[in-house]
Amino acid sequence: MNNSTNFHPTDSMLIEFSAGSLGVAPSICVSAHLHFCASCRAQLKRLDQVGGQLLGASNSFAVDDDAFDKLMEKIDRAEEPVAQENSNRKMPFSVNKLLSKALVKDSWQRLTSSVAIARFRTGQEEFEVALHKIFAGGKTPKHDHHGLEYTVVLKGSFSDEHAVYREGDFLVRKPGDIHQPMGANNGDCICLSALSAPIKLTNPLGFLMQPWLRINPM
Amino acid sequence: MQANLTNSEAPPIMDERIAIFSGAEKRSDQWTLLLIAVGQKRDRAAFAQLFKHFGPLLKGFAHAARNEGWFPGLGDDLVQEVMIKVWQKAHGFNAEKASATTWIYTVARNCRIDMLRRKSNTQHLPLENEDFWSEPDEETPISILQQKRSEDRVQTALAQLPKEQDEILRKVYLEGKSHAEASEELGLPLGTVKSRVRLALQKMQIMISAEEQE
Ligand SMILES: [Zn+2]
Repeated sequence: MNNSTNFHPTDSMLIEFSAGSLGVAPSICVSAHLHFCASCRAQLKRLDQVGGQLLGASNSFAVDDDAFDKLMEKIDRAEEPVAQENSNRKMPFSVNKLLSKALVKDSWQRLTSSVAIARFRTGQEEFEVALHKIFAGGKTPKHDHHGLEYTVVLKGSFSDEHAVYREGDFLVRKPGDIHQPMGANNGDCICLSALSAPIKLTNPLGFLMQPWLRINPM
Repeated sequence: MQANLTNSEAPPIMDERIAIFSGAEKRSDQWTLLLIAVGQKRDRAAFAQLFKHFGPLLKGFAHAARNEGWFPGLGDDLVQEVMIKVWQKAHGFNAEKASATTWIYTVARNCRIDMLRRKSNTQHLPLENEDFWSEPDEETPISILQQKRSEDRVQTALAQLPKEQDEILRKVYLEGKSHAEASEELGLPLGTVKSRVRLALQKMQIMISAEEQE
């Protein structure tokens, strides 16, 4: 199995994803990770089997006598959806969907000289879901986290004090974590992130940039 | 329930693809064969049989969820929405990836989430749960037999689970409760809920380690 991804969602997140109880924003991040990670895909497939077997063995409720006729009428009237052409096969299916349906603005917005953001409207207010671009060699301001942040590397790589993160890696930052991501020198890095609360910049000039980094759920 | 078969006089015909692994026919479950017939031949009689089996189960699945957004007509609506999707997407069903039951479960799960969200959320939701579902082609597809064996193992293990583990899995999958919600409802610490779920999954050989990996 060609699986270079090193950082994965926890088993509990995958279980909730399979059972359908994981929130919108973390689900978006998990699904983006699945695009890159064969081992989590295989695990999810097994977890879905549990759902299937439980559905097959669950209580049934009588359906109205005319339900099937009504259904066939609807089916005969319905137009069949055109198979969706995946615009960019390198990007996860969910990210392509976000790009085509949910971008707040068409262009990247600069946060600092080395970071730009493209925010998504996802119909929930718990998390801000966005793409971040860290320019090649760019240093982001050192910041700590007041809330939870999920990140999936979609393209390129970045590093911080702890490790190098590559395509597909799934990261969770918890409140209190302080870090300073740096873009790789050989190209821009694009990440999907879901951020649950404002990040507080810790460098002396941080207060100037803070309004830009404030959470802005759509 | 009376299925309307008038639109299709012929009984479901198993096609060449199934004939190839006819040795496995007994082992490959009938719902999977019916779903293949719907996908490849638009077989209405096969679809009627699937409806007869899954319709009542889907209605039960809708009734099990008592989340925000639940409404009394959810059961009938879910049956209709899921079965329309089954008809429209059946051509993309691949028996090497999942059994019909598992495949229909994933369709139903996504539909139920979307319907509940639409009811409980006044905001416009640009994405549906389905949009999170991509199915990249696997480099190493497993055979239908392997697939079937693994499903059988899950089924057997499920029937033998201790009551508390069975209960927690039903809460998580059928009621759609998050681990945190389940812990609140059962009055158990979150850690206990997580480890109960893991123990159950371990018995089914779905999860290898008993410890949560961070
Ligand atoms: Zn993974």
